[in-house]
Order: sequence, then C-alpha cells, then structure tokens
Amino acid sequence: MGYFRNIKETVATIFEGMSVTFSHFMRRPYTVQYPDRVPIRIQDTLPFRYRGILEVDLEICTGCLACERACPIDCIVIDAVKDKDTRQMVLKRFDIDIAKCMYCGLCSEPCPTGSIHHTSEFEGADYSLESMLRRFVKTPVVAYKPKKGPETDPEVAPILDRGMAYLTDFAAGGEE
Amino acid sequence: MSLGGYDVEVQRPGGLATEEMTLNMGPQHPSTHGVLRFIVKADGEVMREAIPDVGYLHRSIEKIAEKVGYHGFMPYTDRVDYVAAMPCNQGWGMVCEKLAGIEVPRRAEYCRVIAVELNRIASHLLSVGSMGMDIGAYTPFTHALREREYINDLLEELCGARLTFNYMRIGGVAWDLPPDWVPKAVAFLDRFEPLIDEYNALISYNKIYVERLANVAVISAAEAIDYNLVGPNLRGSGVKYDVRKDMPYSVYPEFEFDVPIGTGEVGTVGDCFDRYIVRIREMNQSCRILRQALAGVPEGPVLTKVPRKFKPPVGDAYIRLESARGDMGWYCVSDGSEYPYRVKIRTGSFTATSIIDKVSRGVMLADLIAIVASFDLVAPEIDR
Repeated sequence: MGYFRNIKETVATIFEGMSVTFSHFMRRPYTVQYPDRVPIRIQDTLPFRYRGILEVDLEICTGCLACERACPIDCIVIDAVKDKDTRQMVLKRFDIDIAKCMYCGLCSEPCPTGSIHHTSEFEGADYSLESMLRRFVKTPVVAYKPKKGPETDPEVAPILDRGMAYLTDFAAGGEE
Repeated sequence: MSLGGYDVEVQRPGGLATEEMTLNMGPQHPSTHGVLRFIVKADGEVMREAIPDVGYLHRSIEKIAEKVGYHGFMPYTDRVDYVAAMPCNQGWGMVCEKLAGIEVPRRAEYCRVIAVELNRIASHLLSVGSMGMDIGAYTPFTHALREREYINDLLEELCGARLTFNYMRIGGVAWDLPPDWVPKAVAFLDRFEPLIDEYNALISYNKIYVERLANVAVISAAEAIDYNLVGPNLRGSGVKYDVRKDMPYSVYPEFEFDVPIGTGEVGTVGDCFDRYIVRIREMNQSCRILRQALAGVPEGPVLTKVPRKFKPPVGDAYIRLESARGDMGWYCVSDGSEYPYRVKIRTGSFTATSIIDKVSRGVMLADLIAIVASFDLVAPEIDR
C-alpha cells in the first residue's frame, strides 16, 4: 500500500525536522534588534579592518594625489596647487562623494601618512545627494610636508602617529 | 494567432478551445534569484517552453575593465558574482599574474584558498537555504543564513567587508590573516560540521521535499556535457569533474578532498535532488580543505611587489578556476599599456541558463522554481 506508506513517511520526516526546530527554542538567538535594542553601538563592535565611510585628516595630508589616482570610480576630487611665492603645496579642494564610493579601500592603501582612512561609521543615509558630498577643505590649507626626523609640532604629532599606526595596524590586523 | 508579439498555437482537443498562455515570470519575482526574466508558454499548468531572457542585469563589467586598469578592476570583480566574490577576486588576480609572470608567495596562496573555501561554504549555504524557501520551506533558509552570518563575520575580520570583499591583489592578498583568526575559524568549523547533518535531518530527506525534487528535470551525463554545465550542476549528473582536481591550480594539489557526485539516491541520476545534495556534500569537502589549510599556513610575505602602474607584456592569458558555481574562466588580452585591451569572463550561471528551456518542457509551472533553484543561478553572473 504505497499510499499509506507515503503518509507514514511524510509524517515521520516532518516530525524529524520539527525536532530540530524545537531544539532551537533552547538555544540563544544570534539576531540583535537593530537599531533600538543593541547593548553597545554596532560601530564599536566592528573589526578593525572594517571599511566604513571615508575620512580625511587634512593636517597630515601631503597632497600627493595618490588616493585620487587609485580610486577606480573617481569619487575623490583634489585640487592641489603650488603657491609660487611660498613654494608650498596648497589644498584648495578635497571632496569625497560618499554616494559614489564603493568602500573598496584602494585609496587608503597608497596614502603615505594614513591621512585618508576608513572609519567604522556606516550609517550614511541622508535625504539629499548634495549632503553625501563630503567637502573636507573649507578654506585653502597648506599641505603637510613630511619632516626628516620625528614630528615636532605638538598638534600634528598625535594625528600623524594615529595615521601611521593605521597604516601598519591595517596590514597586521589591528590589536585594539 | 499572435499575442504580445509571440506566436500562439490554438489547440482544440475534443472541440473545446484552449489556448497556450504566454506568461511573463520575473524580472522582479521573489524566486528568480535576482532579476531574471522567463517568458513561459504554458498549456494550463504544464509548460511548453520557458525562455530565459538574459541581459536585464547587464552592467558591461568586461568593458569597465578596459577603462579602470588592472588594479582598479579588482573591486569590480566582487560584483560579477556577489554571492561568491572571493573566487572572482582570485580569478582576476590569477589571470594578471599569468600575463605578467608573477609568482605568488605560498602564504598568500594559503590565504586565498582559506578565503575562497569559506566563501564557497557561504555560497552553498545560501543556495541550499533559498532552495528550501523557493519550494515553500522557510525554516531551512533562516538556519542556513545564521551559519552564513558567522562566515561573514570571519571574512569581515579578514578583509573588512561582508559581501564585496576586495581582498586579493595582483601578486597575493591585501592583508595577512589577523592575529587569533585561525583558532576562530577552526572553532567555526567544529561547530559547523555537525550542523550539516542537522540540515539533512531538517529538510534534505523530508518526504515532501524529496517528492518535489526527485525525478524533476533529469539531465543525463551526456546532455550535461553537451550543454556545457559546470560545477555542482555537472557533478549532479554524475560526471566527476572538478577544476581543483583535474586542472589543479594554486595549492590545491596539496590538499586531500573528494569530489562528490550525484548518485540518484532518491530518484534518477541528474535530477534536482542530486544537484542539491552535491552542494551539501561539497560543504563537507570544503571543511576538509579548510582544516588542512588552516593547520598548515606557512610563514612568509602575503604580497609580492607589483608596480602601481602595472603594465604586463603584450599577450593574452586564460585561466580556469572552480568558483562556487563551477568552472570559471578569465581571459585577458594585454596590449602593453596600463589598461587591459579586452577582458572576458566565462561563468557557470550563464551556461546553466541555456539548458533551462530544454528541461522545463512538459513539466509543471511550479517546478520551474525548483529547476531554477537547483541550478543555483546568480543573475549578475549571467549577464556580467
């Protein structure tokens, strides 16, 4: 009687599957209630290498344009001109179009000082496309010039340390 | 008569007039796995033909390569097959290395194999889970995605992204394995391997599930070879062919693993169930490879020095590798400049699309969902 055997097998295998499902009532859930009921901010739980929204430390940007050249989708636009009188590199514009950026991380790799880097920030939703364009240069600034010895300026030194640590830690996997 | 531009035959069995219906399934359909459109001619509930309409998701990725250069194309390869992006990364790395004759450090090869096999498990989990969901069992999908989450966490720690990894570079991998990562990966494998049996208890041998898949869309071994099926779809038809075994690349010859094939245990060799169960067994084999690779990661650098202006010599190169969807081919022509002259990507989903029309003739409309799911199609991979 194939008909009754089919019914018997169906019921048996359904109960076999259900026993797996029921065992999950006892296990701890893996899901979290984002964004309302998270014990700590998600940004703080992300691994060191997480590639979030880009940020630029203008204090240590050398204006070498390595990031602009490395970007495959041209979402970074930099205007760096050499001042004829002072013979210094002046940054007039440093824009990153976050709406275009695909978070590949190719720009932060060639940066000599770790000025352009990924943060762990990822909540970038906004109402207009214009606000996605991050303009880092408000007024023209003089680009950073790497010194021969260690950095002496007390304001720039900690930022440069952070940038260089970012470069080395990113390769090593980061120990926070 | 004509209906919507398609010729429709009018049948009159016994004097009663019935018409074949031309239906449009997709592009936005929950079970066509991305945006894939089928033009289905159905007689009642029985399909006369189902023609896949490819090209809806075409993004001209191959053309983009000609503009962004060798290094810049790496993030784009993530988008070729977003479910298993690591093999695509590796493919582009391998073809450029072959063009320029670059030797990859051994540690980098191990990193690549570990990343690719983890990604293969994640891809097969999604395939197995969505197969259950397409057929009407929602629970396996949540179970499969939960384990995929753990793999995503591991890969996120490794390369900083969960889906579009951009982990590999020409000449190696971008970053070394993080400290304490290897024990975590081994702990995941310890937890994951018993869970494969749990999936089998949960869904694989469920009578209703087996009835839906067994003897549906049977593809014989000769047909599978004729239609150029690759990967798990080919092995489901009983052909023992795996690029990792038969044309070894990277460090795969150093690992011991089997190539599971379909045996027709509940129906005929080459039916939907065989293609499904081959994926389940491949996850076991990937775990075996991962254990061997994680235990034997050699010391050394992970990236050879490659100039930022990468200019391979004039010539062309073709490489093959086993992605999660089978034999993947990468062809690149270089004219000696900074930009590739031509890039061609050959993918498993595209070849699987060609046989859908043949196997779906004369089966029920609802079985088309099972057929599409069993081929594990990823729509962006079809069109590139």
